[in-house]
Amino acid sequence: MHGNNPLKVLAPADAVPWISRRALLGGFGVVGLSIAASAGLSGCGRSQGFAASAVPNGEVGNQLNVYSWGDYEDPEDIADFEATGVRVQLDSFGSNEELIAKLAATRGTSGYDVIVPTGVYIPQMAANGLLQPLEHALIPNMANLDPEYLDQAWDPGNKYSLPKAWGTTGYVYDTRIIKRELTSWQDFLDAASKEAAGKTAVLEDSWEVVAIYLAAKHHDMNTEDPTLLDAAEDYLVNTLAKNIRAFNSTIVSTGIPQGTFALMQAFNGDARQGMLSSSDPERWKFVFPTPTANLWMDNWAVATGTQHPDAAYAFINHMLTPEAALREVQYIGYHTGAKGLKEAALADKMELPDLVFPPHDVLDRLKSAVLNEAQERRVQILNRMESKAGA
Amino acid sequence: MSKLSRNSVGVAALAFPTWAYLAFFFIIPVALVLWYSFGFKPDLFTAHDNSVLSLDRYFETADPTFLSTFWNTLQIAGVGTLICLLIGVPFAYWLAVKVPSRWRALLLALVLVPFWTNFLVRTLGWQILLAPEGFLSDALQTMHLTTGPLSILYTRAAVQLGVVYNYLPLMVMPLFVAMDRAGASLREASRDLGANRWRTLWQVTLPLAAPGIASGCLLVFIPLMGDYITASVLGGAQGNMVGQLVANQFNSAQNWALGSAMAVVLMIFILLTVAIVGAVILAVRAVLRHNRRVVMDRTDIESAVIEEAAA
Amino acid sequence: MTQQSTLAPPVATEAGSVQVRNVVKRYGTATAVAGVNLDVRSGEFLSLLGPSGCGKTTLLRMIAGFEEPDEGDIVLAGSSVVGVPPHKRPVNTVFQAYALFPHMSVAENVAYGLRQRRTSRAEIGARVTEALDLVQMGTFATRNPKMLSGGQQQRVALARAIVNRPKVLLLDEPMSALDRKLREEMQLELKLLQRRLGITFVFVTHDQAEALSMSDRIVVMLDGRVQQVGTAEDIYTNPATSFVAGFIGKQNFIAGTVAGNGRLVTADGEIAAADADAAPAGSAVLAAVRAESITVSTVRPDTDVNVVKAAVGAVSFLGETIQYQLTTGSGHELLARVPPLHGELLPAGSTVWCSWAPAHVQVFPNPHPSTGGQ
Repeated sequence: MHGNNPLKVLAPADAVPWISRRALLGGFGVVGLSIAASAGLSGCGRSQGFAASAVPNGEVGNQLNVYSWGDYEDPEDIADFEATGVRVQLDSFGSNEELIAKLAATRGTSGYDVIVPTGVYIPQMAANGLLQPLEHALIPNMANLDPEYLDQAWDPGNKYSLPKAWGTTGYVYDTRIIKRELTSWQDFLDAASKEAAGKTAVLEDSWEVVAIYLAAKHHDMNTEDPTLLDAAEDYLVNTLAKNIRAFNSTIVSTGIPQGTFALMQAFNGDARQGMLSSSDPERWKFVFPTPTANLWMDNWAVATGTQHPDAAYAFINHMLTPEAALREVQYIGYHTGAKGLKEAALADKMELPDLVFPPHDVLDRLKSAVLNEAQERRVQILNRMESKAGA
Repeated sequence: MSKLSRNSVGVAALAFPTWAYLAFFFIIPVALVLWYSFGFKPDLFTAHDNSVLSLDRYFETADPTFLSTFWNTLQIAGVGTLICLLIGVPFAYWLAVKVPSRWRALLLALVLVPFWTNFLVRTLGWQILLAPEGFLSDALQTMHLTTGPLSILYTRAAVQLGVVYNYLPLMVMPLFVAMDRAGASLREASRDLGANRWRTLWQVTLPLAAPGIASGCLLVFIPLMGDYITASVLGGAQGNMVGQLVANQFNSAQNWALGSAMAVVLMIFILLTVAIVGAVILAVRAVLRHNRRVVMDRTDIESAVIEEAAA
Repeated sequence: MTQQSTLAPPVATEAGSVQVRNVVKRYGTATAVAGVNLDVRSGEFLSLLGPSGCGKTTLLRMIAGFEEPDEGDIVLAGSSVVGVPPHKRPVNTVFQAYALFPHMSVAENVAYGLRQRRTSRAEIGARVTEALDLVQMGTFATRNPKMLSGGQQQRVALARAIVNRPKVLLLDEPMSALDRKLREEMQLELKLLQRRLGITFVFVTHDQAEALSMSDRIVVMLDGRVQQVGTAEDIYTNPATSFVAGFIGKQNFIAGTVAGNGRLVTADGEIAAADADAAPAGSAVLAAVRAESITVSTVRPDTDVNVVKAAVGAVSFLGETIQYQLTTGSGHELLARVPPLHGELLPAGSTVWCSWAPAHVQVFPNPHPSTGGQ
């Protein structure tokens, strides 16, 4: 994040990044399909007929409805905010699709005020009128955010959103079973077919799984080249699949303490949570694999139709205080984008800080996922892997 | 005639809560699912659209993942029902026949104890129990019954174990009721007529419990086919169940058309399975009936009487 | 009566005999059968008679094999059956509620026992037909037992038992679910059937009329013990205990003391009794007089013994008899049943004279001297 060009890393301006960190893809991966379909349909004018949002008038009121990912805010931060007299109703969704479908279906009457979409969905959501433009004047604490994380390609000028958390993909392994040092995606593939055969878990996410092979072979993770994808399929279906015990995007935080897997593809924060709840964290090692990996960001936004805009702004503003940012990073294990967060966390003796604040050279090599024409092909590869592994 | 029709109107009116319940909670939802299955997901922002009707969603369900998951589900549900039956029949027999009546209520309550806990929570309990770092694994290793940590979690065996645990009470209850209702006097009559316990079980107790066995199997098999929690919590790459796919389409992917088509295919397969198994059972029963048939014969009476006199 | 049974010729070798030897059966602290000895002769119709809870059904179930005695022995056709499971005993039972198998036709029910013995199909067909014809149910062979009336079901239950040609047929209150008219018909039929088949019948009932009308011998039971064994006539005319006397027919009990001169002293004066001196003078006794033995008249009968003045209470016309409820001078209640031919009904409230012959008075020890006769 202190790199020369972090903005480029976070948001390639020439692409619509595709991210589904914890989307619980079905065996089908239709999420990908539907997004592919919607890519051509974005901004098709579904913004009519929305319930009007209330206009901020300085009255914070006593109610706020937040719709976020499960267990994605420190309850202490919520409680602190509630101490100001606002009751917070916190609901959770499991995928961006779920969030979007609910907002779109209710036409602004969902009742939700603050939502947490992933960055790449924001342009479409904004174009379809699901998001309210932010009144920056009501969020003075946005000054606490590191400019490196502002003004992303998906939301220039942060018109609709402010960073909530970002993370990257890597893997964790059990050093009792895998006694050698793993550093790359090629090492991951190697270990999966040796020490960790039958004890390997990957994310249930077609982009992430295909990226393991592409990155291992030093290809572009977002490639559309059919020859490369055929090679990926051949390896993933015929060699890797039989060694996979689970395709699951949420398993790592329990899988580590339960010792179920020897090797797990994982997001850095989830891996850290799992290691912290293990009776023996030293046993586990997280790898920011070479040569590259995915990088994603979730964001605070205000939903169209909000009836508590003042409370919504007050809440976002509250979550952007340095104190809240420190608690958040401790709790969820993902960098919130706050200025000086690493120093504050280290000063606070945060456990396993390396998993949250990857070193400079790691940051430099990360790339964002891109949604492209080959997405359907990736979904197909994952389907065939699951089919092979489940047989 | 008029009296009859007035009566039937009266009866229909009295049954209003029943058919209203059926209509609102069964017929209309199923019809809606069927209707949605012909639609499509137009874009990210809409869960379904029926403006263009097609069978395309059904073709999408013919995907190899869906089919292999379907086959897994059928196996897990079939084996699960069978195991529940194999555990349930002796247990229900024991409970209905052997246990003194004063202990029965207590034992039945114990059978139902798992139902006091949320389905998800008790399944998660198994996840903790079966984990390689879990209690069971430690205990087995301490007793030197296994060499390494227990490696069952996130396998099909774990799902199988979980579904048997979760659905066994649904099998035991109707079996117990059926065996209890068959009554001690019929078993005594059978023994009195020369049948030992085993023959009594096969010729009297089980045939009389057949409706209970059938309802127990249906009560286990049908919800098990649609279960997705057990497989999500205990299953991994193996042990996937089709309910997970349906749930994902409705929850995560928000593709109601495809989810509906999957649900319809699932329902058709359940109906077909039940119909086929039912037909086999009816055929077996017909054969048994045929073997048991008595041919009345008056020509032999004279000789039989003579034989008897001679004996 | 017990004397008579010990004097009976040895029956151990006879095919249909049952010997019950000192049998005791307890359920927890309750004793259902408290040391019963009984000889059932081959081919006889024996009834076990007693109120509910007297142990008669338990005794029957021990003969059938559904219960095992805690003590004693049961010998069937010369060999002990204690420990032998019910399906191996040469007896069959007709159950109180018939216990027909609802999933089988009438013929299949009857064939059940034969099928267990791996009888050939042809023989099953012939014997089932025979058994059903015997109980006049031949035309119902293919029916489901649930579609039959109670009487028809009973006939099927009977056919199902006798088709096996048991040595002993056990009947557990088989008539209790039938209405009175049907019951009387069936009683006659059952008796005829038993004669015809020559099988030993052990018949459990609480209905004394039923026992009296059908049995060769009757065993009266109370509290798990045999009170008396004898023919119907024996039991009626010479009851061994006051309980037997009271259980068979309608008895009047009058508490008294033995005077020693062939008379008893009672609250209503002296009673002359034929066997009054069987007990020592001064002992407390109960005098039993049957309701049928009492004569009721408006004029004082021409005799000095056993005449009591009484007031008429309730009057019931029972068809064959008229029943008077009478109150004596001492306040004792008497029941009298007289044939209606004697004249018109006496109105309630009228004063009458009751009398009975000394030969009709039976004397029993008073089991509860302080309360007896009140």
